[in-house]
Amino acid sequence: MTKLLAIIKREYLQRVRARMFIVTTIGLPIAMALFGLAPALVMSIEAGTPLRILVLDETGKLFGRLQGAVRVEEVEEPKDEFGAQQRKDALEKARQQNFILEEVPLAGRSEAEINTELDRRLKAKEIDAYLILPADLMQNGKALFYRRNTSDLFSTRKIQGALDGAIREQRLSDAHVDAATLKELARPSQFETMRISSAGNERDSGWGFVLMFFGGFVMYISVLLYGQVVLGAVIEEKETRIAEVLFSSVKPFTLLMGKLLGVSLVALTQLTIWGLAVAGFGVYGINLLASRGIPLVVPKVPLLFYVYFVLFFLVGYFVYATLYALIGSIVTTSQEGGQLAMPIIVLLVISFYLFLPVSKNPDSTLAFWLSIIPFFAPISMLVRIITQTPPLWQIVLSLVIGVSTATLLTWVSARIYRIGMLMHGKRPTIPELIRWVRQN
Amino acid sequence: MSRNNEITVRVDHVTKSFGDFTAVRDLSLDVRAGRVFGLLGPNGAGKSTTIRMIVNITVPDTGSIKLFGTKIDSQLQDRIGYLPEERGLYKSMKVVDQLRFFAQLKNVKGKEADRRIDSWLERLRVSDWKQRKTRELSKGMQQKIQFISAVLHEPDLVILDEPFSGLDPVNVELLKDVVLELKRGGRTIIFSTHLMDIAEKICDDICLLNRAQKVLEGSIREVKSSFGRNAIALRLEGANGNLETSPLISKIEHHSDEMEVLLAPEVDPQVFLKELISSGAAVTKFEMIEPSLNDIFIAKVSET
Repeated sequence: MTKLLAIIKREYLQRVRARMFIVTTIGLPIAMALFGLAPALVMSIEAGTPLRILVLDETGKLFGRLQGAVRVEEVEEPKDEFGAQQRKDALEKARQQNFILEEVPLAGRSEAEINTELDRRLKAKEIDAYLILPADLMQNGKALFYRRNTSDLFSTRKIQGALDGAIREQRLSDAHVDAATLKELARPSQFETMRISSAGNERDSGWGFVLMFFGGFVMYISVLLYGQVVLGAVIEEKETRIAEVLFSSVKPFTLLMGKLLGVSLVALTQLTIWGLAVAGFGVYGINLLASRGIPLVVPKVPLLFYVYFVLFFLVGYFVYATLYALIGSIVTTSQEGGQLAMPIIVLLVISFYLFLPVSKNPDSTLAFWLSIIPFFAPISMLVRIITQTPPLWQIVLSLVIGVSTATLLTWVSARIYRIGMLMHGKRPTIPELIRWVRQN
Repeated sequence: MSRNNEITVRVDHVTKSFGDFTAVRDLSLDVRAGRVFGLLGPNGAGKSTTIRMIVNITVPDTGSIKLFGTKIDSQLQDRIGYLPEERGLYKSMKVVDQLRFFAQLKNVKGKEADRRIDSWLERLRVSDWKQRKTRELSKGMQQKIQFISAVLHEPDLVILDEPFSGLDPVNVELLKDVVLELKRGGRTIIFSTHLMDIAEKICDDICLLNRAQKVLEGSIREVKSSFGRNAIALRLEGANGNLETSPLISKIEHHSDEMEVLLAPEVDPQVFLKELISSGAAVTKFEMIEPSLNDIFIAKVSET
């Protein structure tokens, strides 16, 4: 036991102290923060300087509606879970004008005269843009938008959208349809998915699916990232020829188990730090969105789901990590290991995509077997738990099989490792491997 | 030493093959407690395989090995210190961390481990490198660090596979002294080498392997006397013209200012001396010498 702990400790400390580990662990959240905050910062800069636009409205009907459309477009009705003050603030922020529209009277001048005049003012930077709405716009005319900066598609689209809205309203008004009638006609259907379970009917927010997808994804990424690390760690002693000394002190099984656990603790450390960072940004982001009037309600997921998530994540990780350890015990160099590890990645991708058939038919025989086979179980079982929770004995069985598989694989790897360590160069054949495993 | 007849390692009719290649064939040997046992032989003779079987890294195909009277298990492993032929250390670990790790693997912990590490680093004159990373050390220094890792836990049996290879003469002397110190401390030492002059100086017992088989064994004394050749160190002033053709001599080896003469079988050295004097040579040195281990090695290896 002391020996196992010594190996775990060495493995953990060596890796956690490595510069690469520190850089990636801290670097990722920082990069995330930059990517997350930069757009928000840019937006706030843009909001500070509204676009000054002059409008020549030859139809004589659209300017008012256009101005209204630009102003209210962004505003959503704040949800009632907010207090009165917050509601007012949110509304105010949303009402903030990104555009200042001003009408240019024709005043007897020709269009060409006005064009020249407006071009001059545009070049002199008195205004940012001008919009010409010809008299036949409502029929088949073309609105012309002049800007110095045509690459700001975002604002251009907004103006275009607002103009579309203004024209639609005007046409409806010409056809004597008022806004209230229109709103009533365009009202969407009410739709809600109900989840039937033994605990009674609950509302399904779709959050379960998100969690499931996210869980599968995190598992996939961590196996990809740390599987390679496990592979490298197992090969390390072979490449440096330390294994021979170690084997005069510890059993190969203890060595492999220690390395596996050590690397896994490193993985968990990194994932926990990243997880906390994501959670932090999540809370911050939700608050930020809420303060801008876009509330995001986090649906409640039963605590048990999180427990299952952690359990199946760990089991899944270990099953795949031991596969990498097995590869590591067979090969002599890391390049060779990388090639041989390809099938593991294929297996992992398959198990990830299997969530589709399983989520469609979580109670089918296929789903049952997939959630029992250790390489597919973690993702399949999680999907089943979230969609239609299977009996407890199936969940326990799946976990037990997973843990046993990981232990068995470690044992087999240790046997191969012990003999493979003394072999140089040539990769063993499968019959040879079987003989090594059976050999005392 | 009173334990001299105690057997620390008994190898009993052991055979080990790798595929078609037999590395060790029907080998039996006893290593007595408190003695330095030299496992000698040319490259590929089976020395390392034998050692790996003794430390339980590989298992014999047939035959058995007993340490301290029992079959080896993980408990017994803590009583063994092993320096393998292929050296390996964690390159990016500090020397002191590395030694602490190896000490822990042998159940030596905390202050006791630190105390022993310091005293060994001092003894092998590598204290200055304690806080350095292993990759900064020269090959010879790394070897010393690895030697320390093999003896830190004060094992009863120390097994050294080619411990002197790659060391300069000063460090060879240093390590030789340490090995003899360990012996005085009552430890049993097995080491393999093909450097016969060192083996001759520090071994009590030897076993010579060639092509997977034992060709010679016993204490250095026994081996030399059983091999007893008629060799004479000779220095002559003046005439020595008819030495080359003398029927009494089977071989002459010339050194810088003297020669080593091997008499023909059944020739009495006294007769040879008389012959020399009567031939008019001035004999300034005439010394009966034992065959060196090197001679025995070469003779035995080329014989089989």
